[in-house]
Amino acid sequence: MLADFLLGSFRTRVLSALLLHPDATWHARELARRIGALPGSTSRELVKLADAGILSRQQIGNQVHYRANRNCPIFVELAGMLRKTSGLAMVLADALQPLVEHIQCALVFGSVARSEESVHSDVDVLVLGNIGFADVISALHPMQEVVQREINPVVYRAEDFRAKLSSNNTWALEVVEKPKLFLIGGADDFAKLVDDPASRRIQGAA
Amino acid sequence: MTLQNLLTIQRLVAFKARREDIQRLLLAAERNLNDSAITAISDENRFDAAYKCVMQCSMAALQANGYRTSTSQPGHHQTAIQTLPLTVGLDPKVVVVLDGLRKQRNINDYAGDPISPTAVDECIKQAQALLKHVCAWLAKNHPELT
Repeated sequence: MLADFLLGSFRTRVLSALLLHPDATWHARELARRIGALPGSTSRELVKLADAGILSRQQIGNQVHYRANRNCPIFVELAGMLRKTSGLAMVLADALQPLVEHIQCALVFGSVARSEESVHSDVDVLVLGNIGFADVISALHPMQEVVQREINPVVYRAEDFRAKLSSNNTWALEVVEKPKLFLIGGADDFAKLVDDPASRRIQGAA
Repeated sequence: MTLQNLLTIQRLVAFKARREDIQRLLLAAERNLNDSAITAISDENRFDAAYKCVMQCSMAALQANGYRTSTSQPGHHQTAIQTLPLTVGLDPKVVVVLDGLRKQRNINDYAGDPISPTAVDECIKQAQALLKHVCAWLAKNHPELT
């Protein structure tokens, strides 16, 4: 993705977490857990970004807390760039959050997930769950302005998606095999949903 | 954007509809809606039938207002759907859903991606509601066309 190219993937992850939630404060270990990184390298990165004035820091007890520095002259531009590129997953995950009870798994597939997107690529989102198409599109539609791309959600009940897979549908097989960005649930949840016989029994009984 | 503006930029064409024109569209819409319930056919074709009902309702709505879409222009399905708040006072939130269904159909037609059963359910539900909405709007605003 463009942001990774410009900033490096680690810096992009750290900046996305902070700049896309500019009112949230983090200490290094908490942020490391959230983005799945080592506390030491996360801490060093936070120090560098705060020294550069992109983040602000505050001592609370014996912990240093970091947050986005809205007074940084390029805060708006930087946050905008992240939102349109790698922060995209975060923007979409936030938009789906109110529906999380009805969603078993949500992910981005297609060219954006494979980092092969062009300026005009749509964002393809797969939502698995017992939820209507209308609810999903109503939640995601306003985000098109934010990410400056069209968003195309595809909504399946988990059992319907499994049926597509077992009929060897090439679209469904590609979704499973090619890179994905997870929005709700992770790779393990998805793997379980699509081929765990136990979940199939539970689904069948429901 | 008003209907008059859309006429100026030739997205719409002026059209004086007769009662028969509107009724023919609404009967076709109802037939398509009934066909969409047939589970012996594929999800794609059930979806298409329900989507046709949505399109025919949108066309009837435009015609009752004195317009039709210009089929020589690209995106006339989009125009028909997006003018629904102007033609029959449809909630713009519903338009977002209908437009999403239009895109599902495009992706299915041009890329062959499957239509999900969830999308079929939604399209049928939306088609039913729109047909009802358009008929009620006509009865109230243009009883001479019903």
